[in-house]
Amino acid sequence: MASVDVLRTLGNKYSAEILEAAEEPRSAQELSDELDIPIATCYRRIDELTEHGLLELHDNVLSDDRRRIKVYRRSIETIQVAFDEDLAVEVEERSTVTNKLDEAWRNLSEPACTSSS
Amino acid sequence: MVELTETGIDGLDGILGGGIVRDSTTLISGNPGAGKSVFGLQYIYSGVESFEEDGIYLSFEENAEDLRQAAESIGFENWQEHVESGAIRVFDKRELLRENDFSSSLEIILDDLQDSRYERLVLDSLTMFQLFFEDERERRTYLLKLTDILRENGLTTVMTNEQGTVFPETDIGLENFLTDGNIFLLQTPTESGVNRYVWVAKMRKQDIDTDIFPMELAQGGIQVHQNASAFSMLGEGESPI
Repeated sequence: MASVDVLRTLGNKYSAEILEAAEEPRSAQELSDELDIPIATCYRRIDELTEHGLLELHDNVLSDDRRRIKVYRRSIETIQVAFDEDLAVEVEERSTVTNKLDEAWRNLSEPACTSSS
Repeated sequence: MVELTETGIDGLDGILGGGIVRDSTTLISGNPGAGKSVFGLQYIYSGVESFEEDGIYLSFEENAEDLRQAAESIGFENWQEHVESGAIRVFDKRELLRENDFSSSLEIILDDLQDSRYERLVLDSLTMFQLFFEDERERRTYLLKLTDILRENGLTTVMTNEQGTVFPETDIGLENFLTDGNIFLLQTPTESGVNRYVWVAKMRKQDIDTDIFPMELAQGGIQVHQNASAFSMLGEGESPI
């Protein structure tokens, strides 16, 4: 299932290293240079990790030669795997100020929240 | 009929036509020393003392002991008592920035916001709060989200904002467009010290007096002199904001 896919993606060569390095926003080129990953592989890994919600496109920054460069940042903090009963992969998202505010803001529109009167 | 929250600042509520709009967010801008923090302390303190409204004070600028001393030095003698009873909930610099992780503090704060006990909130300062965001667009988005959250939780909010030169060459930051009200605290040096003024530049939903009024920062906090309009540099009712 989806859980196993996440683990496979994670198990691919360089995936863990990329996630570790992407604590702060990094471009594919930077990751490739820093971690000594062939650039084509680096792009492929980034796509896989992004597809599974482990890495996210953070921004398009302007390079020195005025090109747009995509930078990526990992969107998770922890992954827990449980083998009892069904295989369960629990992904803990990075807790950030923006996440918290987004969540609180989303909750505003939910019916559980008493309307201001 | 718009419901109003009295600031408890002598003279200011008159200029505001009674107070600030309930559940709104008002930005208090000024340079260092203009009296922004005193404004915040006074707003929270008089809420508890005079209007039976409990308040939350978030400070990125000072720790709880500094706040207590600042409050007591201007005559808010019962500040600490109210903090201990929970009527005033202080999140100080140390607590907010504990382990460099504001996001976990934010979780506690958001919990407290939902506690219907509190009706007033001060954020000192917005300038510091905005450092948690990466760019102008993010700062803008999250300021709007935060003011939404505060409004929906029934909190009438005052945020302080560090501003360089305020007047007359006002550099108006985006924040001023995003909040419901703008009050500027101005100071000009004189031979004998400093003259202080307050300018209510904008108040959504309210008919306000946009003249500039002299104010004093003394024992008992801020006092605005309502009847002595100091300047008429701006046309009647014309606000650049």
